[in-house]
Amino acid sequence: MTQPVSPPRYDSGKAPAAARPPAWRTLAARADVRTLSLLGVLAVLTVIGGVTKPDEFLDTRNLQLVLTQASVIGVVTVGMTFVITSGGIDLSVGAIVALASVWATTVATQEYGFAGILFTALAVGVGCGLVNGLLVAYGGMVPFIATLAMLASARGLALQITDGRTQIVTVDSVLGLGERDAYVLGIPPLVLVFAVVTVIGWLVLNRTTFGRRTVAVGGNAEAARLAGIDVRRQRLYLYLLSGLCCGIAAFLLIILAGSGQNTNGNLYELDAIAAAIIGGTLLSGGRGTITGSVLGVLIFTTITDIFALNNLQSDVQQIAKGAIIVAAVLVQRRTASTT
Amino acid sequence: MAPEPPLLSMTGITKAFPGVRALDGVDLDVQEGEVHCLLGQNGAGKSTLIKVLAGAHQPDTGTIHWRGGPVTLRSPMAAMRLGIATIYQELDLVEHLSVAENIHLGHEPTRAGFVVRRRTARTSTAALLRRLGHSEIEPGRLVGQLSAAQQQIVSMARALSHDVRLIVMDEPSAALDPDEVDNLFRVVTGLTAEGVAVVYISHRLDEIRRIGDRVTVLKDGRAVARGLPAKTTPTREVVTLMTGRDVEYVFPPRPAEPPTGEAALEVRGLARNGEFDPLDLVVRPGEIVGIAGLVGSGRSEILETVYGARKPDAGHVLVGGRPVRPGSVRAAVRAGIGLAPEERKAQALLMLESVTRNVSVSTLSRFARAGWIDRRAELGAARAATRELSLRPDNPAVPVRTLSGGNQQKAVLARWLLRGCRVLLLDEPTRGVDVGARAELYAVVRRLADEGLAVLLVSSEVPEVLGLADRVLVLREGHVVHEAPARELDEHRVLDLVMEGSPAS
Amino acid sequence: MRPTAPTPLTSRRGLLFGTAAVGAGAFLAGCTSNDPKDEKTAAEDRPADDKPGKHVTIGFAGPQADHGWLNAINDNAKRRARTYSDVTLEITEGSNDTAAQIGQIETLINKKVDVLVVLPADGKALTQVGLKAMRAGIPVVNLDRVFNTPQAYRCWIGGDNYGMGLNAGHYIGEKLKDTPDARVVELAGLDNLELTKQRTKGFDDALKNYPNIRKVARQAADFTVESGQAKMAQLLQAQRKFDALWNHDDDQGVGALRAVEQAGRDGFLMVGGAGALSAFQAIKRDDGVLKATVLYPPTMSASAIDLARALGQGKGVGGMAEYEIPASVTLYSAVVDKDNVDRYMPTGFR
Repeated sequence: MTQPVSPPRYDSGKAPAAARPPAWRTLAARADVRTLSLLGVLAVLTVIGGVTKPDEFLDTRNLQLVLTQASVIGVVTVGMTFVITSGGIDLSVGAIVALASVWATTVATQEYGFAGILFTALAVGVGCGLVNGLLVAYGGMVPFIATLAMLASARGLALQITDGRTQIVTVDSVLGLGERDAYVLGIPPLVLVFAVVTVIGWLVLNRTTFGRRTVAVGGNAEAARLAGIDVRRQRLYLYLLSGLCCGIAAFLLIILAGSGQNTNGNLYELDAIAAAIIGGTLLSGGRGTITGSVLGVLIFTTITDIFALNNLQSDVQQIAKGAIIVAAVLVQRRTASTT
Repeated sequence: MAPEPPLLSMTGITKAFPGVRALDGVDLDVQEGEVHCLLGQNGAGKSTLIKVLAGAHQPDTGTIHWRGGPVTLRSPMAAMRLGIATIYQELDLVEHLSVAENIHLGHEPTRAGFVVRRRTARTSTAALLRRLGHSEIEPGRLVGQLSAAQQQIVSMARALSHDVRLIVMDEPSAALDPDEVDNLFRVVTGLTAEGVAVVYISHRLDEIRRIGDRVTVLKDGRAVARGLPAKTTPTREVVTLMTGRDVEYVFPPRPAEPPTGEAALEVRGLARNGEFDPLDLVVRPGEIVGIAGLVGSGRSEILETVYGARKPDAGHVLVGGRPVRPGSVRAAVRAGIGLAPEERKAQALLMLESVTRNVSVSTLSRFARAGWIDRRAELGAARAATRELSLRPDNPAVPVRTLSGGNQQKAVLARWLLRGCRVLLLDEPTRGVDVGARAELYAVVRRLADEGLAVLLVSSEVPEVLGLADRVLVLREGHVVHEAPARELDEHRVLDLVMEGSPAS
Repeated sequence: MRPTAPTPLTSRRGLLFGTAAVGAGAFLAGCTSNDPKDEKTAAEDRPADDKPGKHVTIGFAGPQADHGWLNAINDNAKRRARTYSDVTLEITEGSNDTAAQIGQIETLINKKVDVLVVLPADGKALTQVGLKAMRAGIPVVNLDRVFNTPQAYRCWIGGDNYGMGLNAGHYIGEKLKDTPDARVVELAGLDNLELTKQRTKGFDDALKNYPNIRKVARQAADFTVESGQAKMAQLLQAQRKFDALWNHDDDQGVGALRAVEQAGRDGFLMVGGAGALSAFQAIKRDDGVLKATVLYPPTMSASAIDLARALGQGKGVGGMAEYEIPASVTLYSAVVDKDNVDRYMPTGFR
């Protein structure tokens, strides 16, 4: 498959400052076909939602709801996008979210209040990421297997900590962040965190040496090594990053659900991978797009929203979700190949 | 009586891709039992033409006649059914299957429709291999365990397992040593004697002279010459047809005085068990040292060990008199060594990325403050480096995969030029680069040396080593058998040294 | 060429990170503790028959306790057995893997326990091993998830999913019978389970008695807090106004209540299901929408121990005229609201 040859993006030196085109035009020129087709899918969904349930769908509260529900899996997907871009995979994200969320909500942790919960969630995420990274980068294990092992053991440990119980959070400063009083200019704090993670993720992937090395490792690990990049250290950092995102997501989930449970994060790995792939990140590595991944997450969340608002049952929801994944990928391939 | 119609006749074939007119009215006639050579620079349309012939591309216009009747080749299967087989440059074998399984892939002999008759498959495989004069290849072995030459034979056997009338071979000799090429030619001659026609693509004029009957030359999607006699057409004429200009003196002149400075690269007693014996070597700034040897003589292994990609069992490498930590690519790069590896696409290039990003990948931190890349500085530097090497097109934003082989190689060189390295290791620098572009690449390498770089060159093409290098080391089975200034050697002498005592001679 | 960083700096940085990592690790290790104060539960509270009799060894095999209710099942069985001086309990490591559970039960059969209590991970798949035990002369008390054939157990004891729905429906119906055009929503459990279908059917059947009530929406969560929050948030957005909500499961109810709180909604009546401690406490406080919950009592495992002991000693059930224990016991799904919550408080599971 050929990717469209984009017009020379950074034509430096030529025409400095003189006659700048309007901002929207620069934006439109920069956004590639893939992103546009995702926005198209989102637009179609919005029309469907608006026609079937005009009052409930086209409503600020619904927008807040969709974005809030997207934040937890969205943050996980940003981390996953990095890992996939580097040619790896992280199957343990859901289990890490579960472990971090229960570890951070034990009776003992809650005694330390807000800071204790936040720190524990992040530290557990990073710790699990560190183990994944060491196994993959220095232990020479295939990412699929290493993170599958992490999936199993993190879920097991989460169960051991909770004994299957639901750990209810009693720290008011944490709970408060999930309530309406905490909204900043109508934006839920969870959504703010999601937005910040997305922007940072985009900048890191597209504007830093770290991002560039990630793409290089994913595009051709041997070439990256022979170009003098420390491929193993880069891989270690990437799984650490994914673990950190899981830790952040776990904290968001604690705020959202007001509790920690070992069943949290169920099948996040599949949702995150699906969103990243639909967004245009190559499963084989070498190309990744944070914008695409976030749009992928939003498409999924919007679908769920529209179905729930129309009171369709979960069997129908699942069938439709599968069909929409296939349709989105087909549309993308078609538009990408005709340009 | 009307003359016998040609086996294959393609007329007025055109094929356009977005932005490129790959074929612009090409005609090609192939007779039964002949070796028809296809010549042309990269991008001339050879690959597209053979893909049309293989049924992998559909032509936009033009007609194909097969044994006198018009045909359409809708799919590779359709071409196969007519008796047209194609052996691509990148062999399409399944490494984890056996020879017999590969040969019968997709048309396994079966019992009751699905039970594979393994014994039948083996017997017919053995028969095919015998016909190709390679009965030593065991039908039960995994293809991944075979040498490149043997894999090529398996590919050919697979083609012959169908009732084949025409075999297309895309640069079959590229990965082969001289004696293996001899073998290949024996096989080709045997096939043509049976009436099978061969379309043979190669960059090597000497091969075409040895084996070809007629030559068609492609340039810019057109056939600029058709059916030239392969044996008698002067080289000058062929080169002129391909490049549109007269290339006689391909190699740039050497400096008048041999360089004398302190050693830029010094290798002391470097060895890897089973690959190459302890090696001592000095390259001075401004000097090009060449290593000549056969595939498997340890040439590439030496370069990769110097570069730290392989860990030596003994010895060390010094750059500018300071030892480099062995077995670490990063240490080598930091010390100022750069490598243009043998497999450009697999080992050097990020094929999905732009030229800029390919050039800057080893120098990223120079354009970054706290990890933040100044993309304007990066682009400027990449542009300067690629301009210095006259990389075409002069737009570093284009994806590197759209470049020709020669320009891809320049992108790799630009990477090290930008890095400002002191020692450049070149492994088969002109593999897959066409004749016109080679001369330019040689000039670039010489210019870099003149600017003070120490260059260590490895090539399986003896004339290249002799023409480009100042000093030559001849390598046989991991051992340096001779060292001399290049002007004191000629091709015959080197080939004698390389082959001496080896079973082939 | 760029100068390389001097090594001491690197190692000092390494030392700093190392210390921080060790400190973080130590902190985390201290944070796994989850021990709530040990309270007396229903299993110890209400002994049925104190007179010690013949000694009985009871084998108990249950699934992995990955849910509060299942955890309570294991707990109640253990505590109940402890109250009897004439009972030894052989309890297996819980497993959700059918093959593993079959192996565990076969081990118990080989050990020649007197009675088996089995809560199968999958009733159909474990029927054969139930039959095997019965043939070996070991009576089986089948707990909750029923075997394929009555031949595989001597006695079945379990909850009533249809009855849960029915009682929830009747409770809501009675509360809303004077509200014209009342609107009801349902937050169901995991939709691919038979029991969810039964609960919904019971609920719908009960509502048929009240022509003024209409069920306007139903969404299925999957028994987790996370899904409860998400689905409830959707239901609240979809239905601007409704009068009552039935939630199948108190665990997902934690999430559902969280969503209600986040949306700042009230003005409706919520009924839960199963009987979690947190639900009981909320009902007792009476400061939110949750007014009642329908039991799916985890004490059934304590009762199963009672039945197994009676089987082993050849006795009937106290308070009944029969010489033998019944072949099947279906427990009543009582509605717990503010009036009777204190009585049920000890049975609440975490």
